[in-house]
Amino acid sequence: MHGLKYASVNPMKRRYLPALLIFLMVFSVVASGCIGGGGGEEKTSTIVIGVTDKVTDLDPANAYDFYTWEVLNNVMEGLVKYKPGTLEIEPGLAEKWEVNEDSTVWTFYLRKDLKFADGTPLKAQDVVRSIERVMKIQGDPAWLVTDFVDRVEAKDDYTVVFYLKQPTSYFLSLLTTPPYFPVHPNYAPDQIDSDQTAGGAGPYMITKWVRDEELVLEANPNYYGEKPKTEKIIIKFYRDASTMRLALQNGEIDIAWRTLRPSDINSLKEEGKLKVIEVPGGFIRYVCLNTKTEPTSNVKVRQALAAAIDRKEIAEKVFMGTVEPLYSLIPNGMWSHKDVFKDKYGDGNLELAKKLLQEAGYSESNPLEIQLWYTPTHYGDTEADLAQMLKEQWEKTGMIKVTIKSAEWGTYVDYARKGQMQVYLLGWYPDYLDPDDYTTPFLKSTANSWAGTGYANPTVDELLTKAQTLTSQDERAKLYEQVQEILAEEVPYIPLIQGKLFVVTQENVKGVIIGPDMIFHYAHLYKE
Amino acid sequence: MARGLGQYILIRALMIIPTILILYTLVFFFLRILPGNPVMAVVGTKNIPPEQLEHLMEMAGLNKPLYVQYFDYLKGILHGDFGVTLAFPMGKPVWDYISQRFPATLELAIWAFTVSVLLGLITGVLGATKKGTKVDTSMRLYSIIAYTLFIPWFGMMLQYVFGIHLHWLPTSGRLDPGVDLHTITGLYVLDSILTGNWEALVSSIRHLILPALTLGIVLSGAYTRLVRNNMVDVLSQDFIRSYQARGVPDRKVLWYALKNAFIPVVTLMGLQFAILLGGAVLTETTFSWPGMGTFLVDRIDYRDYNAIQGAVIFFAFFVGVISLIVDIVYAILDPRVKY
Amino acid sequence: MEIAGKIAEFLFGKKPGRGMMLFGLTIVLIVLIMAIFAPWIAPYDPTQSSDDVFAPPSGEHLMGTNRLGQDMFSRIVWGSRIVLYVVFIATLISMAIGIPLGLVSGYYGGKTDRALSVVMDSIYAFPALILAIVIAVVLGPSPLNTAIAISFVYVPTYFRMVRGQTLSLKGQLFVEAAHAIGAKNREIMFKYILPNLAPTILVVFTLSVADAILTEAGLSFLGLSVTPPTPDWGYDLRVGQPFLLDGYWWLVFFPGVMIMLLAMAFALIGEALNERVSLGTR
Repeated sequence: MHGLKYASVNPMKRRYLPALLIFLMVFSVVASGCIGGGGGEEKTSTIVIGVTDKVTDLDPANAYDFYTWEVLNNVMEGLVKYKPGTLEIEPGLAEKWEVNEDSTVWTFYLRKDLKFADGTPLKAQDVVRSIERVMKIQGDPAWLVTDFVDRVEAKDDYTVVFYLKQPTSYFLSLLTTPPYFPVHPNYAPDQIDSDQTAGGAGPYMITKWVRDEELVLEANPNYYGEKPKTEKIIIKFYRDASTMRLALQNGEIDIAWRTLRPSDINSLKEEGKLKVIEVPGGFIRYVCLNTKTEPTSNVKVRQALAAAIDRKEIAEKVFMGTVEPLYSLIPNGMWSHKDVFKDKYGDGNLELAKKLLQEAGYSESNPLEIQLWYTPTHYGDTEADLAQMLKEQWEKTGMIKVTIKSAEWGTYVDYARKGQMQVYLLGWYPDYLDPDDYTTPFLKSTANSWAGTGYANPTVDELLTKAQTLTSQDERAKLYEQVQEILAEEVPYIPLIQGKLFVVTQENVKGVIIGPDMIFHYAHLYKE
Repeated sequence: MARGLGQYILIRALMIIPTILILYTLVFFFLRILPGNPVMAVVGTKNIPPEQLEHLMEMAGLNKPLYVQYFDYLKGILHGDFGVTLAFPMGKPVWDYISQRFPATLELAIWAFTVSVLLGLITGVLGATKKGTKVDTSMRLYSIIAYTLFIPWFGMMLQYVFGIHLHWLPTSGRLDPGVDLHTITGLYVLDSILTGNWEALVSSIRHLILPALTLGIVLSGAYTRLVRNNMVDVLSQDFIRSYQARGVPDRKVLWYALKNAFIPVVTLMGLQFAILLGGAVLTETTFSWPGMGTFLVDRIDYRDYNAIQGAVIFFAFFVGVISLIVDIVYAILDPRVKY
Repeated sequence: MEIAGKIAEFLFGKKPGRGMMLFGLTIVLIVLIMAIFAPWIAPYDPTQSSDDVFAPPSGEHLMGTNRLGQDMFSRIVWGSRIVLYVVFIATLISMAIGIPLGLVSGYYGGKTDRALSVVMDSIYAFPALILAIVIAVVLGPSPLNTAIAISFVYVPTYFRMVRGQTLSLKGQLFVEAAHAIGAKNREIMFKYILPNLAPTILVVFTLSVADAILTEAGLSFLGLSVTPPTPDWGYDLRVGQPFLLDGYWWLVFFPGVMIMLLAMAFALIGEALNERVSLGTR
C-alpha cells in the first residue's frame, strides 16, 4: 500500500483540504462498511507499461501468443497458479485438489466466495462451461485441452472433475495456461470473442481497450485474493522498439517491457539512468535440419554443422549478450537439462567439423552446399544478423558454402511443415513448463510434423511416452537425459541460444516479479 | 451544360468499378501464388494436430475452391462488407480496422497535402516572378531535390535533429500517452477542436509536424515546377500584358495570374494523391504512424488475405473518388473542358 | 562519327540545362565505376563481420562500421551493383512490355485498346509503391523478384505514353505516305512511328529510372528486396534506423545520401533531356 500513500500527496489537495475533509466525512458515513479500510478519495495509483508485442485476441479460446497470455493471466485466473517467481504450483481458484492413482482423474474444490469482476458468482459450472467452450471452438490453443482432457464435470457448485485421455503427470502445469481459465458468461458460447473485455476472476479487470493503442486495467474489486498494489495499469502498444525506448527515456512510460532490442538494452544499461532488470527466459532458438533430404540426411553433415557453430560468438555479436548459449533443447536451469552439445562438440570446433565433412565426402574443392532459411520479421531485427553469423561460422570450415534465403512468416511455416527447407531457423516458446514440452514436440515422431525435420526414432518415441506417464521426477529426469544424448548424436536440431527477458523501468518502480513462466504479474508492481 | 456535367460525373464514377475489380483480381491471385496462408501464420511453430489445422482452415474459409473464395469476397464487397481478418485475431471485421486506421492516414495526407501545395505555390511563384535569375534556378533545383528525397531518410534526419537531438518534437505516434481524446471523426486535430480539448490539440499538432513536413516537402517539388511553368505562361499572355499596360498594380496582376495558373495544378492533385498514399506507407513506417500503410505492412506479414484485399480495394476506391472530385473541380473551374 | 557527334552535341551542347546534364552524368558515371570496379575500390569484404563494431567514420573506415563490424564504405560501393541491376532490369522489363503494347493498342484501337487502357489506367492510378509491396512480398526477396515487382508498376507509364503518341502520329502525313507505298502495319509501327518516339522514350526512361531507384529503396527499406548479407542501400538504411537513437548517424546517413544522389542524377538528366526534346518539337 506504499504506492497509494505517496501518490496521494499532491499540492492541490492541501488547498482544498477543508472542503475535502467535509466531503470525506460525509462520504465515510455513506460508504462506511462497504469499503472497509480502502483509500477513499485517494488518487488512484497508475503505472504505464510500454510493449511492442500485440494483444491479438482477448479470448482464451483462441489466444496463443505470449503477450496476450500475459494479459489474460492478469485479468483471469486458473484453478491453480505458479507461486510468484517460482515453478511451484499453488492454489488459485481451487483451494485444494486430489488425483487418482494413475493421474487420469483430477478433482478440484473451488473457493466458495468466487466472483467475476462485475460481481457475477463463479461456480464449478462456469469452469466446465469455459473448458467445454474451448473444446467446441477449436481455436489455436485448443489442443492444450483436447489432447489431454476427455471430459470435464461439475459434481456440485464447487467441485470440478477432469477425466483425462491418458495419464498426464504434468496436468497441473497445463492448468496454468489460459485455455483452462474460467471466463465470464458474456463470452459468446460457441464462437471466438476477440474483443470481449469481461474477463475472468483475476486481480485486474479491463476498463478500456483500443486495439493496437491502449489497454487499461483496473483492480478487480471482487478478486478473492490480495488487492493489487497498483490500482491502475495502462499498457501502451508501440509499433517498434525505438519508439518505446524514446518514450521510456522521456518518462512517458514507467516500464518498457516486451521487447526492446539487444542494442537498446545495452545502451540503456550503459547510460545507467534507468533500472534494467534481467530475468531468465524459457524461450529457445535452434537450427532445424531436414533429416529426409540430401545432404542433411547424412548424420555426419548434421554433426559437422553442429560442431562448427560458435554459440558464444552468436550470443555476444548478434544478441549483444542479452541471451545465453544453449547446448540442449531443454533450457538451462530446468530439471534434467544437460549440456549435451557442449560435451560432444564444444563451440566452433572447426577441426571436428572438417573431419566429419571429410568423412561425409566433402572437401575444399567439393564443398557442402546448403541453403539456410530465416524469416525476417517474426523473430525480430536480429534474425538476419543471426543468419549472417551462422553463414560466416559454417564457411570458416572452408568446406561449406551457404546461401541465405528468406520467406515471410506465413510461407515460412508452410515450407517448414512440408519439409521443403533444408537448414532453417526456428524458435520455441513453451506452452507449459515441463521438459516434456521441450522434447516431445521436437523428437516424438507422432508430434513433430510441424517442425518438418522428419526425425523419427522408435527408441526416442518410447522413452518420451514413458516419461509422460511416470510421476517421479527423478525417474523422468533419467529418461530425458537419455533423450538428450540421442539428440546430440543424431542432430535433427542444433540448439543455439536461450533468451533472457529484460524489463527496463524508471528508478521508482518496484515489485517486478517474473517467474520461469515468463508471465509478468502486474499486481505486485508499485511506485515509490 | 448541367446535364452534361452530371453525365460526365456518372461515367467517371462508374469507371471506379473496373479499377477496383482489376486491382482486386490482381491482388487476390498474387496473394495465393506462394504456399503459406494466414492460418499457418497464426499456428506458427505450434504443435497443432492436423485435424485441428483442418478445422482452422475451414473457419477461415480457406478450404473452399479458389473461385468460390474469389466470388464470395467480391459479393461481400458489393454489400460493403470487407470480410473478417484471418489472423491475429481471426474473425474481426476488416472494416473495424479500416475505420480506425484510415482517419490517421487521412489526417496525415491532408496536412502533407496542404504543406505540399503551399510550398509548391510559394516556390513556384517565386521562380516565375524571378524568371531567369538565380532564384528561378534554385527553385528549380529545389523541385528536383524535393522530388528525389528518400522519405525514410529525410524523416529520420528530421527525427534525429528535432526529436532525438533537440527534443523539440515527438518522433512517432499521434498523441502523447495519458492524453485522453474523445474521437468523433478520427482526425485528432479536428476532434480536439470539436471537443475543446486543448491539451490534445497541442499534442496532436506536435505529433503531426514532422511526418507532415516530410511527406509534404517531398511532394511539393512537382507543384513547384508546374506552378512556375504555368505562371510564366500566363504572365506572358495578352490579357496580363494589357492589365499591366493599364497600370493595374503588380500584386493584383500576380493574383490574376496565380488564379489562372492554378487550374492545371488541380489536375496534378489527383495523381499526386496516389503518390501521396504510396509515400504515406513509408512515412507511416518511419514515424510509427498508426494508419493504413502500417496496417497493410503488418497484415502482409500475417498473409491476412482479407485484410490485404480489403485495404487494397479501399485504397483503389479512395484514389478513384479523389480523382473524381479533382476532375469535377477541374471541370467547374475550367469551362473549356468538354464532357 | 557524325552520329556520335550529333549525340554528343545533343547531350553536351550549349543548351539550357547543360549544367544539370553534366552533373547528372557525372554522378551516374561515378556510380557505374563503383559498381564495375567494386572489388578493387572497396577496401574490405562488405559481408565480413569484425570486432570493430559501430566505429565512426575515420581514415580506416571512411563511412564507419555497422553493428556487425562490416565496413559501410565497402557496403556502399558494392550496394551500387544491386541498385543498378534491379533498376535497369525493372525498367527494361517494363519497356519491353509497355512499349509494344502501347504501339499496338494505339495503332489498331478498338476493343482491345479500350480494355487494355482501362487495365493500365487502373494500375497507373493506384499508388505504385503499395502495389509493388504486395507483389514483392509474394515473390519473396531477391534482386530479380524485386525488379519484377517494380517493373509491374512502370508498364502503364510506358504504355500510356507510347499509346498517346502513337494515336497522334497515326494521322500524320508520313504515316499516310507509308501506307500509300504499301508498307505493312508492323513496318509502320516499328519503322516509322517508333523511331519518332525515341526522344520521348528516352526522357521517360531516365525519369522512370529515377523513380524506380526510390521505389527499390522503399522496398528494401521495408525489408522486401534482398537477403543479407547482400549489401543494399535501402536495406542498410532500414537496419541502421534503430541505432539513430544511440547517435550512430553514419549507418543511415550515407546509404540515404547515395540513394538520393543517384535518383537525383537521373532526374536531372531526364529534366535536361526533356528540355531538349521539347525544344526540338516546338
